[in-house]
Amino acid sequence: MKTRHLLLAVAAALVAIVVSLLVGRFQAYLIGAVAVASIGALALNLLIGACGQISLAQGALLGVGAYAAGNFGNAGCDFLALPAAGLTAALISALIGLPALRLRGLYFAIATLAAQAILEYLFKTVEPLTKGISGLVIKPMTLLGTPLVTDQAYAALSVFALFVTWLFMVWIMRTNIGRAFLVVRESEIVARGMGIDVARTKLWAFVASGFFVGIAGALTGFITRLANPEAFGLQLSVDYVAMIIVGGIGSWGGSIIGAAFVVLLPELIQRLGEFLNVPNVLSAMRELAFGLLIILFLIFEPRGLVALLRRLAPRIVAAAAVLLGRKEIWKPQSASRRRL
Amino acid sequence: MTYALQLAVAGIAVGSVYALIALGIVLIYKCSGVVNFAQGAYAMVGAYVTYFLVTMGLSPLIGVIVSMAIMAGLGALTERAILRPMLKAPVVAVMMVTLGLLIVSQAICLAIWGPDQRAFPALFPSGAVEIAGIFMTYNYVATGILSALLSVCFLAFYRYTLLGLAQRCAADNSRAALAIGIHVSNQVSLAWAMSAALAGLGGTLLATLNGLSLGLADIGLVAFPVIVLGGLSSLGGALIAGLVLGILQSFTDGWLTPVLEDFLRAHTSIYSVGALQQVVPYALLVLMLLLRPEGLFGRGGTERV
Repeated sequence: MKTRHLLLAVAAALVAIVVSLLVGRFQAYLIGAVAVASIGALALNLLIGACGQISLAQGALLGVGAYAAGNFGNAGCDFLALPAAGLTAALISALIGLPALRLRGLYFAIATLAAQAILEYLFKTVEPLTKGISGLVIKPMTLLGTPLVTDQAYAALSVFALFVTWLFMVWIMRTNIGRAFLVVRESEIVARGMGIDVARTKLWAFVASGFFVGIAGALTGFITRLANPEAFGLQLSVDYVAMIIVGGIGSWGGSIIGAAFVVLLPELIQRLGEFLNVPNVLSAMRELAFGLLIILFLIFEPRGLVALLRRLAPRIVAAAAVLLGRKEIWKPQSASRRRL
Repeated sequence: MTYALQLAVAGIAVGSVYALIALGIVLIYKCSGVVNFAQGAYAMVGAYVTYFLVTMGLSPLIGVIVSMAIMAGLGALTERAILRPMLKAPVVAVMMVTLGLLIVSQAICLAIWGPDQRAFPALFPSGAVEIAGIFMTYNYVATGILSALLSVCFLAFYRYTLLGLAQRCAADNSRAALAIGIHVSNQVSLAWAMSAALAGLGGTLLATLNGLSLGLADIGLVAFPVIVLGGLSSLGGALIAGLVLGILQSFTDGWLTPVLEDFLRAHTSIYSVGALQQVVPYALLVLMLLLRPEGLFGRGGTERV
């Protein structure tokens, strides 16, 4: 990563934090929701995009984060509730990943489906920790003694957490373990031939991914102030896989774009429905648009929005140049596609 | 004893529907290498189509047959329109596209029929029959017999007919099948059509037992423990595993849950174990994947490190 990119990211994060402190409640809520979803999508992309392990247990893992944060937070752990939730989710994620040491591809995806179902069941039944079907009421998070109560504060916190997550992702892919993820994704046999401990590499992917999913879940819990089993169903897992597919599998920027897309699309359709005065078919419309988008993206642009933007960028710039009456203001870089 | 038999009968009825759905998934997997997460969607759509036809005034028998034909068309259509362009796509993409299909079909049913559960028109006469002290409603009897019969017919079709042989050729080695003059892509479409029709019937039967709702699509996910238990590549395995899981669920619900709850209430503060029967298949699935990933009846050579 060049220093320029880092500075750009720092500036973007600062701007986003300042903006989220200044805007109204609803906008702050949206910024927070996009940031939290982005953290989860980055973490999932580390697992699926970088290491090639398909997981359908993301929703339940977010739930683990939320419940853990709720319990730690209610017990008075201050801001430490966030990392504590991350660690709890990392532990559970490693457990979910254990079958991956023996299974590959689809078989493992089916095993995570089972993990999702079992965790959902546990959310409903382990009442001392989860308060069962009625859900766990979570007190506002305290930051060094001051409780955070406004949506703006949570939005700023989420953006900060997103920035840290992004830094971690970029950093880890430059380390040996990050390179090992890529080799394991391409071929486990080659990885073994290169002297990579495949099992340990996979477990690290699950731990690292799980930690950040836990943070995202914890932030969700603190923002909604309630963790209930219905909120962390298979639907949520599918949403997250959709985010990284729509954004771009194996692309960090794509994860954030995809998360923003999947979070904001329902809001947009909601507005559209209110505008056109057809509220009763709204939820159906939302689901329909979502499902169709997944299918269309997979068929026509499997590398996601990021690839689409990269392809269209020169044309947009050219069109802008023509509009401005200038021949050439920016020469697109060569089409070499950067992967992780 | 009577109670145990009663539970077993209920389990067999539901289990045979599982088998029907699971057979479809295994068939599609064998023929096109796709694990179809949208099988539950076929079941749900099939049930809604039957509901529509029967409430329009068709007789139940014709309604079910027409609905199966429609589902077969839909199955072939999805294969041609959606899965065909994705032949070389990675596993996660194919899996996701079937999940997208599930979302879309649920949305369409939601838009047309609304979110509420509906009473399904009676396909079979109401009332119950008593055999050896066990009461069975005609619904359960008919469901069990119909789906078991159809599953067996289906297996026989595969084993003994020329078309079934062509199907097996296409699934086993598509290049060799092409070389001996089998139109492989038609065979794949046919496999999708048949499994969608089977799922449509399964959904209809399930709706006669549990009522008609969008939740019917969940059976597509319950079918996964079934196919893992039976082996992802074994049709007969899916049939047996379906019955086993149905019975297991029924016994968990009717026998294990009360026993466990009594024990927990006596010794701990936990009052309920919730819907244990919904999670037992998944626990079994994990165990199976760890001990014997190829399933009870599957052949080796499945993806394993």
